[in-house]
Amino acid sequence: MTRINPDFTSELKKYGVFDANACYNCGNCTAVCALSDQENSFPRKMVRYSVLGLEEDIQMSLDPWLCYYCGECTTTCPMEAEPGELMMSLRRWLTAKYDWTGLSGLLYRSVTVSVIAFILLAIGVIGFAALHDFNPEQVMHFGHYFEMSAIGGVLLFILLPNIFRMWRLTVFRPDGKLSVKAHFKALGELIVHMFTQKRTLGCDDSQVRWLEHLILVIGYLALLFTTVFLDWFLAESRTVIVLGYAESTVIFVITFLFVLARITMKREVSKHSHPSDWLFVIWLFMLGLSAFAVRLFIDLQILEENFWIYLVHLIIMVQWALIIVPFGKWTHFLYRSFAMYFRRIREI
Amino acid sequence: MNKKIGVYVCHCGGNISDYVDVEKVRTSVESDEGVCLAKTTMFACADSNQQEMVDDIADQEMDGVVVASCSPKLHLLTFRAVTERAGLNKYNYVHANIREQVSWAHSDNKTGATDKAIRIVKAAIAKVREAEPLEPLMVKSTKAVAVIGAGVAGIRAAIELAEAGSDVYVIERDHFVGGRVSQWDNLCMTDETGKELVTRLYDKMMKHQNITLYTGAEVVKNSGSVGNFNLKVTLRPRYIRFDCNEKDLMKAIDVCPVEVPDEFNFSITSRKAIYHNYPSEYPHLPAIDMENCTRCGECEKVCSHIDFSQKIKQVDLTVGSILMATGFDPYEPPEGEFGYGIIENVVTLQQFKRIVHYCDNTLQYHGKKIEHIAYIYCVGSRQIDGENKYCSRYCCTTNIYTAITVKKKYVEIHNYHFNRGIRTYGKQETLYDESSKLGDIYLQSFEDDPPVVELQDGKTVVRINDILTGHKSLDVEADLVVLVTGMVPRKDNATGELLKVPKGRDKFFNEIHMKLRPVETVIDGVTIAGASQGPKNIMESMNSALSAAAKSFSLVDSGELALEPIVARVDQESCEWCGKCEAACPFSALSKLEIEGKTVVQVNETICKGCGMCLPVCPVDAIELTGYSNKEIESMIDALIPNI
Repeated sequence: MTRINPDFTSELKKYGVFDANACYNCGNCTAVCALSDQENSFPRKMVRYSVLGLEEDIQMSLDPWLCYYCGECTTTCPMEAEPGELMMSLRRWLTAKYDWTGLSGLLYRSVTVSVIAFILLAIGVIGFAALHDFNPEQVMHFGHYFEMSAIGGVLLFILLPNIFRMWRLTVFRPDGKLSVKAHFKALGELIVHMFTQKRTLGCDDSQVRWLEHLILVIGYLALLFTTVFLDWFLAESRTVIVLGYAESTVIFVITFLFVLARITMKREVSKHSHPSDWLFVIWLFMLGLSAFAVRLFIDLQILEENFWIYLVHLIIMVQWALIIVPFGKWTHFLYRSFAMYFRRIREI
Repeated sequence: MNKKIGVYVCHCGGNISDYVDVEKVRTSVESDEGVCLAKTTMFACADSNQQEMVDDIADQEMDGVVVASCSPKLHLLTFRAVTERAGLNKYNYVHANIREQVSWAHSDNKTGATDKAIRIVKAAIAKVREAEPLEPLMVKSTKAVAVIGAGVAGIRAAIELAEAGSDVYVIERDHFVGGRVSQWDNLCMTDETGKELVTRLYDKMMKHQNITLYTGAEVVKNSGSVGNFNLKVTLRPRYIRFDCNEKDLMKAIDVCPVEVPDEFNFSITSRKAIYHNYPSEYPHLPAIDMENCTRCGECEKVCSHIDFSQKIKQVDLTVGSILMATGFDPYEPPEGEFGYGIIENVVTLQQFKRIVHYCDNTLQYHGKKIEHIAYIYCVGSRQIDGENKYCSRYCCTTNIYTAITVKKKYVEIHNYHFNRGIRTYGKQETLYDESSKLGDIYLQSFEDDPPVVELQDGKTVVRINDILTGHKSLDVEADLVVLVTGMVPRKDNATGELLKVPKGRDKFFNEIHMKLRPVETVIDGVTIAGASQGPKNIMESMNSALSAAAKSFSLVDSGELALEPIVARVDQESCEWCGKCEAACPFSALSKLEIEGKTVVQVNETICKGCGMCLPVCPVDAIELTGYSNKEIESMIDALIPNI
């Protein structure tokens, strides 16, 4: 027996704009959804759970991660309840639920908190640079060191514990009926989805979106590798330099297209932009662009000005690595892949 | 006199002629006694054929006509009209049914069908031979209508009748007018209160000189029939003189020591033995409820206009028609239905409306603040095991409207609707939309798995297996459970029984035909309006009230009524009064008559329906039915079975 909690929708509305209460349960959203199937039927079920405030059932469900937001349900909804946006909001809400620090929820719910966090980090970086008398070499050394430790730290202290929490909520059963074998058997699913995100192809809207995403993800991961392990900014190898240019170009061009789509709001998927969505695309865009500029200035030998460009790049990177990656939209990429993995485990 | 008879045998396209050899039927009857013309026709009812028949009747100077075709239910009136157009008395027309009774029934046996058709047509010819021309019975009609019930339907009908020019007597059993509508606050879609509506109708009614309003009044006897109903009406006094001043009366109410449950508030409050329902109620004068008054005399001490010497009066009224607008009762759940009567915070929708009426800034019941309200729909309606199979029509709409009102009026209200499918039909559909958008939660179950109300640690919990959430078991802790109760017929139906107004399977008054004659009853002259006929909202009640008013007016307007002459006729010489026919008559049309020292039966022709129930019970065969005399029927039998 589950108790209804009518206050849940107002809580959920802090994570996105929709009107689930308008829903009269016709089920058109689920009927039109290309990804919904018998085992994982959505979004109507999630709309219903949200209206009734069945938090436990939502937490236990992987459905929000199985939706790749083509927006067909929202276009079809006769009551304009915005089921697509509700699914998006649930993903944000779940991100907050999985996050043991509680910061994720805080940042999602409040723009003010987000702005303060961004400003504090910027001041921190500038303060650090000032401590070192704005010495380019020392700051750049720190930057390189920071990148490596941030990847490790965030993964170890934030992302892995959060994925474990997600696993506890969605896979773990207290009755002990848990197959360890299944965890290994299903591992392939995780790898495939993490690197291809091929489920997006199931959406009816367009294959271009998937391609854009895929190139962006590959570009992003490759640039990360190039800067961290090949030390792009100080590299001498022509191949590495060109590679870095190509990767950063890919990032800022594609993210520029994404920002443009969110401004023109032509596609359903880009009609609703939560502050976290804007932060994600704009910061990734600036990350790519500033990295490109830093290396360009090095190659053009404009070293004097380049330090300040680098400082900007560093600020953006720190904000990106300490806010958006662990607590923001970046994690969705991770949770989606794990959701596919966990679903497979549950099936086995 | 030898009658000249015309016979038409219809093909009905192929409906008849595919199975019955119509030509053979024609040749078999053309030489029967009196037949001057026998024809077959493709469609007897076609306009061209009707005209041909009119011409034939005139040319041949016929005295009688038979058409062998479909059921008389379909075209008896058509061909009667044809004979009338040709100048013949319409009772000299006889209809032979060779479609429903022959071709359709015996499509497997064509020879047999043809033989049966021949006999049926011969029987019809035999009846025409004996038929007499009949004239309608003319009855004087009093230009006055009695409207029973001064709710909104009754008052609206009374106004309409008065405006058309009839005298109207409005007879209200209660001491106050307005009926159920006066008990409601805001009404949906128009946002007027029930009191405002009643005030408008009352003011308009009282402006009419030809309307007489009787309150505390009840019809106790009726003699007579359509055109001239003689009603005996008793009037219970208020025991308060009309010139009383208000202050003294308020004092009198204050000092009255008697407290009884207030039915106006569906017993959620109590009232005194001297009472009015609300301060501005019409008529503006309280009344003393003598059933509960102890005659302690306290009120007399403070108010000099209390008058216990007032007596029950009687008035005699003669009216041409009676319009019944006696309304409904809300369904009263038996103890234990969804916890009603056992769990303190379970109330009916009607009680809830009164609770809301009495709450100002906070919604509370029994001193407890209400935030979570569970509404359980279809209580007393659409019953599976019970007798009320019908939908009460108004409850979904009025409940959702009330839920919205409550949500807007008070803070932090959560509404949960436990329904079996919402029927806010027509223009009210937008209410459902509005309430959803306001955050009301709708939960649904089928009739075989209703929600359960139970007490858990002193909390009232409503549980449902919600079909909108895959039959998931969900529950709500409710501060108040509202049973959305529908309409049932009035418990006290004394007037209806007195007038013998028939009831349908749903126990509401029954019309003659749901679609074609929706406000008339089989009791000639008695029309029905409003929720006395079945669940209706106010708009629908107004529609039926206006319709019933028009129908009643048509009966009294001309001062004279033409009635069907097919009635029982008594041969008073052979009648020896045994009373068997009186007992057999379902309409009380027969009564004893002393004539020249002999007791015989007499027929009230305006009440008699010509059903024939009295005929077979008469031991001396003294009763005949006009239009279906023994001679006619016997000759038909002879024609049907000639060989015995």
